[in-house]
Amino acid sequence: MNIHVVSITVSTAIFLFVIELVRRRKLTFKYAMGWLLVSAGAIFSAVFYRLLFACAAFLGFELPSNFIFFSLFCAFVFLSLLLTVFLCQQNNRNDVMAQKIALVEFELKELKKKLKLE
Amino acid sequence: MNAKILAIVPAFNECGNIKRTVEEIRKVSPDVDILVIDDGSQDATSQEAFCAGGMVVSLPFNLGIGAAVQTGFKYALEHQYDMALQIDGDGQHDPACIGKLLGPLLRLEADMVIGSRFLEKTGGFRSSFSRRVGINFFVHLINFLTGVKINDPTSGFRAYNKKMIVLFSEYYPLDFPEPEAIVVAQQAGARMVEIPVMMRPREAGSSSIRYLKSLYYMSKVTLAILLLMIRQKKEEA
Repeated sequence: MNIHVVSITVSTAIFLFVIELVRRRKLTFKYAMGWLLVSAGAIFSAVFYRLLFACAAFLGFELPSNFIFFSLFCAFVFLSLLLTVFLCQQNNRNDVMAQKIALVEFELKELKKKLKLE
Repeated sequence: MNAKILAIVPAFNECGNIKRTVEEIRKVSPDVDILVIDDGSQDATSQEAFCAGGMVVSLPFNLGIGAAVQTGFKYALEHQYDMALQIDGDGQHDPACIGKLLGPLLRLEADMVIGSRFLEKTGGFRSSFSRRVGINFFVHLINFLTGVKINDPTSGFRAYNKKMIVLFSEYYPLDFPEPEAIVVAQQAGARMVEIPVMMRPREAGSSSIRYLKSLYYMSKVTLAILLLMIRQKKEEA
């Protein structure tokens, strides 16, 4: 029974912590979504643990704990993939921005030169 | 020759080489505007290029050769150049071949011209054995995937017409740009022509590809090209 309480408490704490981070504007909704989904899933399975056990048995896991580890592993793989996508997006935007800054800086220098000549 | 031509010279820490490259281009083709893209160099590349008479765009940090060359395409598009040349800032490419490279574009026979070390036995520098094995592999890979036979797919000595300037300023592969750009160009229906050119060994500094890294490099490029093929097909769908 203790483990039941502990798992509900921990997953709820994570869920609330993510919400608090959003509230403090340290995390935007876009990036919080993944974490909220995973922690909500954790709370759900901690509350309805019988459903979790049934699922584990149905999928052929000998121990429900193995099913939990497997699910968490999948969730983290998904989250890290999502983060890689965001990272890639940022990287591309960074490149485009750097190119633009360099070109604008060059144009500015040329304009200044022209103005001086005039 | 009334066409407005831009020479894009990507350079990263090429102090000692860039001056000569810019001066040689100016000497051989005085009508060509020279735009040196200083890819976040730590040395005096940018000042040296400027003093030699080139226009210099300095990227705020190192973006890699693909993004540097693309910056040049963006500039060429913005300033309505008819053609663009790509010449490495390390002095490997002999500017004396610029006229030859532009020929097929001026005669409207091609959209993109690639300077090749391997078309003729020109007696110039033909790169190390391990690199040649890698290059040969890409020749066959690109030929197999796209049906295009380019003998020197890693050559960065190229000329492009307006169509390619528009295409590459929009999208230019950033990881291994030379072989990948051939695939992108072929998918856009570009006409590609190879012209024999002379290449020289690097004068200062060291090439970024080392012998032992060749195999690793080859597999990375192969993967990048395969991913590029999938990506393009998805976009079309």
